[in-house]
Amino acid sequence: MTVKTEAPSVGNIFAKKKSRVGRDVLAITPATNLALNLLLAFSCILTLIPVYVIVISSITSEASLAANGYRLWPEEFSGMAYRFLFSQGSIVMTAYKNTVISTLAGTVLSVVMVGLYAYPLSRDNFKFGTFFTFFAFFTMLFNGGLVSYYMVTRQVLLLQNTLWALFLPSAFSPFWVIVMRTFYKMNVPSEIIEAARIDGAGEWRTFLQIVVPLSVPGLATVALFSAIGIWNNFFNCLILVDDAQYYSLQFTIYTTLNNIRFLLENADKMQGLVNVSELPSQTFRMAMAVVTVGPIILAYPFFQRFFIKGLTIGAIKG
Amino acid sequence: MSLDVVSSVQSPPVKKKRWGADKIYSNLSYLLMVLPGVVWLFLFSYLPMPGIIMAFKTYKLSRPPADYFIQNRFVYSLITSPWVGLDNFEYLTLPTNIDSTLTYVRNTIFYNLLFMIVGLVLSVMLAVMIFELTNHLLAKIYHSIFFLPFFISWIVVAYVVYALGSSAGIINSVADSLGLGSIELYKEKIYWPFIFVIANIWKYTGNGSILYLATITGIGRELYEAAAVDGAGKWKQFTNITLPHLMPVIVLLQILAVGRILGSDFDMFYTLPNGAALVKDATYTLDVFVYSMLRSATPLGYPAAAAFLQSAFGFVLILVTNAIVRKIRPEMALF
Repeated sequence: MTVKTEAPSVGNIFAKKKSRVGRDVLAITPATNLALNLLLAFSCILTLIPVYVIVISSITSEASLAANGYRLWPEEFSGMAYRFLFSQGSIVMTAYKNTVISTLAGTVLSVVMVGLYAYPLSRDNFKFGTFFTFFAFFTMLFNGGLVSYYMVTRQVLLLQNTLWALFLPSAFSPFWVIVMRTFYKMNVPSEIIEAARIDGAGEWRTFLQIVVPLSVPGLATVALFSAIGIWNNFFNCLILVDDAQYYSLQFTIYTTLNNIRFLLENADKMQGLVNVSELPSQTFRMAMAVVTVGPIILAYPFFQRFFIKGLTIGAIKG
Repeated sequence: MSLDVVSSVQSPPVKKKRWGADKIYSNLSYLLMVLPGVVWLFLFSYLPMPGIIMAFKTYKLSRPPADYFIQNRFVYSLITSPWVGLDNFEYLTLPTNIDSTLTYVRNTIFYNLLFMIVGLVLSVMLAVMIFELTNHLLAKIYHSIFFLPFFISWIVVAYVVYALGSSAGIINSVADSLGLGSIELYKEKIYWPFIFVIANIWKYTGNGSILYLATITGIGRELYEAAAVDGAGKWKQFTNITLPHLMPVIVLLQILAVGRILGSDFDMFYTLPNGAALVKDATYTLDVFVYSMLRSATPLGYPAAAAFLQSAFGFVLILVTNAIVRKIRPEMALF
C-alpha cells in the first residue's frame, strides 16, 4: 500500500505553512483558540498527575505516609527513601546494573541489525529483496504462540537465567525494518549511492560512509525505541529468568509491589508470621519507581528532535 | 507506514543483463548485511513455529536415546509425544472451564475493540486540535507532555494505580473525607474496565497522534483555502479533506489491530491488577490466561491449544480483513 502524502515540513510537524492569500482564512477564531488551549492544558495536567503522585510520595516522610496515606501534598517531606535506595548494594542495584547493561547491548545490536537488514531491501538491485522483505514481514502476521516460544527460548536457545535473556529477544524488529527501509528510500537518493559505487567504493564502504550519515534521524529513532523497549521490558524477565541475580529493574520493582500488597492485604491472616512494620517502606518503593523512570525522562528531550523526524519520514511516505 | 511488501522491491523492468562480477559482488554484500537479522528471525520467530503442533499432542518430557539424531530434550519430546487430536481444545470447553474460557475470550475482544475505537477517535482529535492551535510553541509543549507516558513502563503505572486506588490511596482518603464508602480496588471487578481504558488512553494517545499529525501537516493548504472560500466550515473541511487523507493510515493501523484482536498488551493486563485473584474475571485476557496455565501444573497441551487459537485466528482475521479492504479499496490493502 502506498500512502500518498506530501512531505511534512521535516522535523517540525508543529509549524504551519504561511498563507499566500492576504488574510488567513483558515485561522481559528481567538475564542476557539482559547478554548482549545484550555482543554489541552487541562488534559496535560491530568496526564502529568500519575507522574506527580509517584514523585511526591517518594519524597513524603514515612511517618506522614503511614498516618495519612497517600496525599497530593504531604505534611512532611523527606529524602530518606533515596538515601536508603543508593546506600545499600541490594537487589535494586543489581537489577539496575543488569538493566543498564542489557539496554546498552540491546540498543547497539538492534540498530546494527535493523540498519543492516533494511538497507538492501531499499535497493533496487538486490535480487532477493522481495523474499527477505516477506521473511521479516510474515513474522508480524503469524507466530508460534507463547507456549512454544517459552519452550524454545528456554530449552533450545538456552536463554533461561542469563543476562542475554533480557535483551536478545528484543534486539530486532520487523516493524522497524519496514520503517527504516522506507526511510532509506526517501532520504538517500540512489544517485549518490551509484556515484559512490562508480568512484570505486564497495557496498560496505558506501553504506558506512554515505548511507549511515544521511540516515541518522532514522537510526536514532530505532535506537530510542529499542532502548525504551528494553529498559521497560518486563516480559523477557518474567518468562526466562528465575534467578534473582539476573532480574531486570522492571521485574524487581513489580515483584516488590506484588509481595507487599499481598502481605498487607492478608496481614490479619498471617498474624505473627509477618511484621508489617518491617516491610520495605512505602516511600522506598515509590523512590524505586522514580529511579526507574528517571533516565528515560532525562533522555527524552535529546531524542525528541530526532524521532519525530525519523518517525514521520520513515512511516508516512512511501 | 507503507508496507508495500511485494510491489515496490521489484527491480525496474529494464532489459535483462547478464550477471556481471559487480552485480554478484553487490548481491553478496547485501546477503551478508541481512544475515544477522535472518539469524535472529530464524531463532526467535521461525524456530518456535513448528512447536505449535503441541496443541494437538500430549506433551511428555522424555530423554532422547543416545543414538537419536537430535539430543535436545524438548525437540525429542515434541516429536515423540502422542497425537491426541482435539483433546486439548476439549479441555478448554469442559463444563467446569467453559465459563472462564468464554469470559477471557470476551474480555480480550471487548478490550481490544474498545481500545481500537477510543484510541482512533482520541488520537485523531488530538492531532487535529494540535494542528489548529495558533501558537506553535504551545502545540509542541502539549504534544511533548502527551507523548511522555508512552515512555513509562506499565509496572510504574501499577505503582500509580496502587498509590491512587489502594486502601491507603489518594482516592480512598478523598472518599473518606467526603464521607463516602471506601473503594476496594483489588477486590471488585467493576472498576477494572475503567482503569484499563483510562490507562490505555493515557499511555498511547500522544504516540498514536504523531502519524495523524504528520499526515495532516502534509495536506496541501490550498485544498483548505479553496474549501473555505467556497464556504465550508471547519467540520466540513474535516470530513471532506482531512479524513479522506487520513484514511490510508487509519485503515492500515486497523488491519494490523484486527490481526491482534485475540492478543493483548500483556504487561498492562498482568501487572496493573497485581495478581489480585478476585478480579480475574475482568482482568484476564487470553494472553494472561495462557501464561498462568503455562506456569501452573496444567499439562502444556492446554495452554498450547489456547495459544494456537490466538495465532491461527489472528492470522486468518488479518488475511480476511486485508482481502475485504483489497476488494473495496485496492490501494489501501496491506499486501
